Amino acid sequence: MKELLPEIDRWRANGDRVAIATVVATRRTSPRPVGSKLAVSESGELAGSVSGGCVEGDVYLAAQDVLAGGAPRLITYGITDDMALGIGLSCGGEIDVFVESLE
Amino acid sequence: MSIFEELRGVLDTGGRAVVLTVVSGENVGVKLLVRADGTTVGRGPSDLAALAPAALRRGRSHVIEHDGVTIFADVFAPPPRLFVYGAVDTAESLCRAVKLVGWTSVVADARARFATPERLPSADEILVAWPEEAFAQVQPDAGTAVVVLTHDDKFDLPALKAALESEAFYIGALGSRRNQERRRERLLEAGVPESAFDRIAGPSGLDIGAASSAETALSMLAEMLATRAGRSGGPLRDAKTRIHAGSFAGKK
Repeated sequence: MKELLPEIDRWRANGDRVAIATVVATRRTSPRPVGSKLAVSESGELAGSVSGGCVEGDVYLAAQDVLAGGAPRLITYGITDDMALGIGLSCGGEIDVFVESLE
Repeated sequence: MSIFEELRGVLDTGGRAVVLTVVSGENVGVKLLVRADGTTVGRGPSDLAALAPAALRRGRSHVIEHDGVTIFADVFAPPPRLFVYGAVDTAESLCRAVKLVGWTSVVADARARFATPERLPSADEILVAWPEEAFAQVQPDAGTAVVVLTHDDKFDLPALKAALESEAFYIGALGSRRNQERRRERLLEAGVPESAFDRIAGPSGLDIGAASSAETALSMLAEMLATRAGRSGGPLRDAKTRIHAGSFAGKK
């Protein structure tokens, strides 16, 4: 979280609201540990990571939806071995990501 | 004050807190921040605060099933800290070992000739102090591992007694089994309850055949990590639980 603060502060200073996605659970192996965070600004900037690239695209869409007034939500992703290989990881796994707006 | 602003303060000051968030069930998104002293910020139901001490002791973020809802306990704490009483050569090896995994270290010894930066180049902090004074200054908490290394009862006994009165997640002592037994009797005489002795890892370390002080330090650090994660420390090949600690063991 600490390493995301400078970006979050910059976005908020520009008047952007911010959504936070957090890895709350992992099963089998996973690229990022529990507690890892991705911050998304209203205007579409990103900081941090929840999976090393596998699922950030979808998390980004969920974050934008939450910022547009959608409910906070828990999303489960299965990281297929193909996806994992695509970003250079040799292990598959499953992660639960919670997406909410930063109040 | 918002939870985010409060959390920023905790992070800036190296404090300890847990943010409890309902992630499934009723009231998804409700949050409560609980500081290490038990005070809270946020609108989350105050009964959640009861979950905080165990979450902070565990020291890593994790999910809790509570009253039919799933709660994410996001634990914010500085990296673990090693406190060594006894500025012997194993102390330097231990400081060097914990630095590799991102911990900080403090070494104390009453003997000023031992507790020097030349002998302990890897220690983040060095105190010349008797055990009682050193423990009062360091104040080991649930994020601290304590190791007592002087081999001299006049230091080891008060140091172990003070360690047992703290919340340290690991308490290690060097010494042969015979020395451990003698120490145990002395501590019992000093009023330490029998039940407290389970907390002392003595002789400290996992059984990996360590010989040099660097190897001994590695064996002790491995035991500290295992204790912190609630693992026994055997080969992963034989392990029944999942390999990485810190999450949802058991749940599919």
